[in-house]
Amino acid sequence: MTIKTRDEVFNHLRDTLVELFEIDVDKIKPQAHLYTDLDIDSIDAVDLVLKLKEFTGQKIQPQQFKHVRTVDDVVDAVMEILAAPHA
Amino acid sequence: MLLDSTVGRYWRIVGTGFVFIVFGLGAIAISATIFPVLRLTARDRNTARRRIQRAMQLTFKVYVWLMYGLGLLTVEVSNVERLWVPGQLVIANHPSLIDVVFLVSLMPHVDCIVKEGLWRNPFLRWPVAWASYIPNRMGQELVEDCAATLRAGNSLLVFPEGTRSVPGQPLRMQRGAAHIALAAGVNILPVTIEVTAPHLTKGYPWYRAPLRRPHFCIKVGEPLPPSVYNPGGESGALAARRLNEFFLEYYAAVGAQNQNWPP
Repeated sequence: MTIKTRDEVFNHLRDTLVELFEIDVDKIKPQAHLYTDLDIDSIDAVDLVLKLKEFTGQKIQPQQFKHVRTVDDVVDAVMEILAAPHA
Repeated sequence: MLLDSTVGRYWRIVGTGFVFIVFGLGAIAISATIFPVLRLTARDRNTARRRIQRAMQLTFKVYVWLMYGLGLLTVEVSNVERLWVPGQLVIANHPSLIDVVFLVSLMPHVDCIVKEGLWRNPFLRWPVAWASYIPNRMGQELVEDCAATLRAGNSLLVFPEGTRSVPGQPLRMQRGAAHIALAAGVNILPVTIEVTAPHLTKGYPWYRAPLRRPHFCIKVGEPLPPSVYNPGGESGALAARRLNEFFLEYYAAVGAQNQNWPP
């Protein structure tokens, strides 16, 4: 797997949010809050994590996303997963 | 009328406080006496569930009569018989704390979603379990529990807003009710609750009784089959968003949002 930059991860996340939930692209900023700004609920979060699993090619444990609140938090969590792949 | 006068207003404040106490003590008394008898004499879980739900209806009917009898409010219901059809997802807007009391009092059998914390309450844990009420767990689990009971032929009551409406604001709905409908594929029965004055409304403490006695108008709408609310047979995040918009348009069209009352 090629090493991905933060920008690449962010861009992928933005495209995924648009595709899955038809969220307005302009709203998707690093500091945007998933629940209050982007209207992503806990059921949507399950769909999102599934998509990110495909993207990273790694198993994702729910607790890795437990403290995620903003778009930037998701990028951080994905970067962490990519940096320390599970066996 | 006397009940709409200043004296009447004080009467209604005292009466509302009294009814709160009756609600609380009544819940404990019934949970400790009638409900266990109904449960222990039932031959199986399902019989117990039907009996307890019926007892909930009758208890809530007594509460409604009490509130009416004390002159705290008046109520009017249209097309109530539509509520008696089993296996429907009943949705309603939520102007007041007592909406659930009205709706349960009108339905012989209905599943409700109640706070998960009640399963840790020493008095109420058994009645909610015996009535097969559904704990408000997070996300997908809750949707699956709700869809399962609907598919089994039970009716379920959900307030899609998830909390009481904020007066003067457009309705905001969480998408849980939409997800439940899409997962279950059953008829949706939309109920509109209107009230002429804020009574046990969000942002209005109970002791701030309105000048005039509030009148509740409960209108049961036409059942909506899946062919109407989800013609494409879709599912998933986008379908839930569309169905939620459909609910909001429905309630906007019947004028349930933006309840504004004279001060």
